Amino acid sequence: MERELARERTLLRRKVSVAAVLTVLVMVSSLPHMLGSGHHSFLPFWFTSPWTQLILTTPVLFWCGRDFFTGAVSAFRRHFADMNTLVAAGTGIAYLTSLFTTLFPQVLIAEGLPADVYYETVAVILTLVLLGRLLEARARGQTSEAIRRLLQLQPPSARVLRDGQPVEIPVSMVVVGDLVQVRPGEKIPVDGEVSEGSSWVEESMLTGEPTPVAKATGDAVIGASMNRSGSFTFRVSRVGADTVLAQIVELVRQAQSSRTQVQRLADQVVGWFVPVVIALAIAAFVVWFLISGNPVLAMLFLVSVLVIACPCALGLATPTSIMVASGKGAENGLIFRSAEALETAGKLRTIVLDKTGTLTRGQPEVTDFARLAGGVLPADTLLALTAALESRSEHPLAEAITTYARSQLKGGALPALEGFEAVAGRGVQGLIAGQQVRVGTPRWFEELGIDTAAIQPLVERLEAAACSVAAVVVDGRIEACFGVADPLKSSSAAAVAGLRRLGLQVVMLSGDAKRTAEVVAAQVGIERVIAEVRPADKASVIRKLQEQGEGPVAMVGDGINDAPALAQADVGIAMGTGTDVAIAASDITLISGNLAGVPAAIELSRAAMANIRQNLFFAFAYNVAGIPIAAGLLFPLTGWLLSPMIAGAAMAFSSVSVVSNALRLRNFRPAHLPLPTT
Amino acid sequence: MQILAAAAPLWRTIDQPLALKGLVAMVGLLLIAWQLWWFLGRQGGGVAARQSEAGLQEITILVDGGYAPSRIKVKAGQPMRLAFHRVDPSSCLAQVIFPDFHKSLDLPLDATTSLELPPTKAGVYPFHCGMNMVRGVLEVE
Repeated sequence: MERELARERTLLRRKVSVAAVLTVLVMVSSLPHMLGSGHHSFLPFWFTSPWTQLILTTPVLFWCGRDFFTGAVSAFRRHFADMNTLVAAGTGIAYLTSLFTTLFPQVLIAEGLPADVYYETVAVILTLVLLGRLLEARARGQTSEAIRRLLQLQPPSARVLRDGQPVEIPVSMVVVGDLVQVRPGEKIPVDGEVSEGSSWVEESMLTGEPTPVAKATGDAVIGASMNRSGSFTFRVSRVGADTVLAQIVELVRQAQSSRTQVQRLADQVVGWFVPVVIALAIAAFVVWFLISGNPVLAMLFLVSVLVIACPCALGLATPTSIMVASGKGAENGLIFRSAEALETAGKLRTIVLDKTGTLTRGQPEVTDFARLAGGVLPADTLLALTAALESRSEHPLAEAITTYARSQLKGGALPALEGFEAVAGRGVQGLIAGQQVRVGTPRWFEELGIDTAAIQPLVERLEAAACSVAAVVVDGRIEACFGVADPLKSSSAAAVAGLRRLGLQVVMLSGDAKRTAEVVAAQVGIERVIAEVRPADKASVIRKLQEQGEGPVAMVGDGINDAPALAQADVGIAMGTGTDVAIAASDITLISGNLAGVPAAIELSRAAMANIRQNLFFAFAYNVAGIPIAAGLLFPLTGWLLSPMIAGAAMAFSSVSVVSNALRLRNFRPAHLPLPTT
Repeated sequence: MQILAAAAPLWRTIDQPLALKGLVAMVGLLLIAWQLWWFLGRQGGGVAARQSEAGLQEITILVDGGYAPSRIKVKAGQPMRLAFHRVDPSSCLAQVIFPDFHKSLDLPLDATTSLELPPTKAGVYPFHCGMNMVRGVLEVE
């Protein structure tokens, strides 16, 4: 495909060169006619003859401009009319008229008209349109540059261990389970898990995160990222189309082949555009013939209208901007799943941020463990009971408590547990050695009718420190409290500030107690908090916001637990972990866990939509203004008569300027994202 | 060069016989009507895909200045395979895009490339070339 395009471009370049040389000769040859009689002296007579011009123009038409005619004819047979139709009809008519004048000049002279030929018009139009096509092809090649660059990230070969010996093999031959060696300064060929050694790895080309990430045994590495300092061996987990890089490329491709709502309108216009232009051109001919009775003048208006119209600019207006913007997003670790996601993201009014894993690191740690004055069990027994119960739960808080309890106990077997039960959003319970043990939120115990007055001061103090509180209750008696804190990500506060600067209302959603959630929210600068929401209710919270007319609403979450809420939101934004882009349920995926990607995505969306609006406005305005001028509407007022050559030039450069404007998006720099230095 | 040539020798009024003026106007109007009908009128009702044994609906589309057929009829709720055979060298046609399916397909010259689409609800799904100039329609009914 690449080679085919390159070959075509070479041929196009050759045609432009040949056309340009011949056109200059034709123009020089036609100079005396343009300047009027009396200027013949400096050129030999034969050179200025219409026959010479005919000989010079014919190859421009039939070799350089051949594709316009073959394209127009085959499109015509299929009831299609496009760019080729307009160019072929315009230049064909001018050529045939000139040919008639060359063969039978006496017919015009008898009518009292000068026997002028318009070969130079034909040659100039074809040369300019071909040149425009060449420039456009070059510019369009640049719009898909981002994908090409992503594909080039993967190194061609990998050093695989075979029978303990490193062997260099092509990446395509690496299979899952292979052990691959990576040396400092080398690229990691495919996805896998470090099995030996450690290093710092730069993932900026995929995640947009500029800082290298430490990798040690058990850590996941992504193919195409750059190994900095150490050497290590990793076990291959994904190859080919399953790798993160391949998935990113696929997602970007999909986004680039989808379309926005605005494009639907443009598409409808493009559908009937060319036939309408042809109708207008014929109408211009008829009207001018009726007014002036001069067929040559009428023919020039006809040709001008045909060649000035540019349906291409309309067709290209949105897709080129979408191509460049989604590619630009991918460069920064922002993956848009569709053009609609790109379109809606810029219109957002409310943005809902999930607390755990989005604003915070999602790795809670126990900060406090307090036995109550009225408790009867010793600390070690309590920790053992708690660990036995919590180790069965998958809740992140439970994991933190288990880890803490085990580290305090320093080994030793945990007591046997019977009848384990998890109560969603409340806690867990079970029987250990005949005692009923519960670990959960103070609210749960209030609901169960257990007196929690004794722990209220402690709960208040912990919640004020942004800790979640878990109480331990044995046989209906409160024994101890854990304070668990989930540290904020360093990027959270700046990202929230960035979102507010963009004029969005920021809402924090959390399953935590109201007070804890409010403290966290205050730390990052969020005023509106919806707390004590159970996971299953997150989607209905989003729906309520939408019903209250606060939409479009975006939900930012981790993509796994929040899937229903992400789907309910107008734009679902999933925070990736850097190793798993399989979270394609979202409209936008941030490959890195950096929240700064959210305002950056919104800024990119706004920039892209502004660019599309500019393109569409330009394309519409150009055609709406250009066609009447070419049809001679201004002639009675101003005496302006647009030369068909100028019409051709305007047409050639209108689509080039649309594509060039879209390419300006390549310079987009989000204000809220530290960009990779590469 | 006559960039904005005002009343040069070209601008000359000639008295044409009324019959000729009427004829030109008539021919012009007929031409307008005919080309609008030719390009915009509904030409044919589209071509239905044929049913293969495996429940797959198949059709081959010739890419030559346009898509032939350009209006393809398929049944709802059944997977389909569209085979594009490209013979037109224009780079514009080197890609075909199905925006509603988020699919794009590169079409090498003088070769047949197939695209499989999942079962779909009834509706009209347009597709177009890489430059969005040449178009076709997939009618699912």
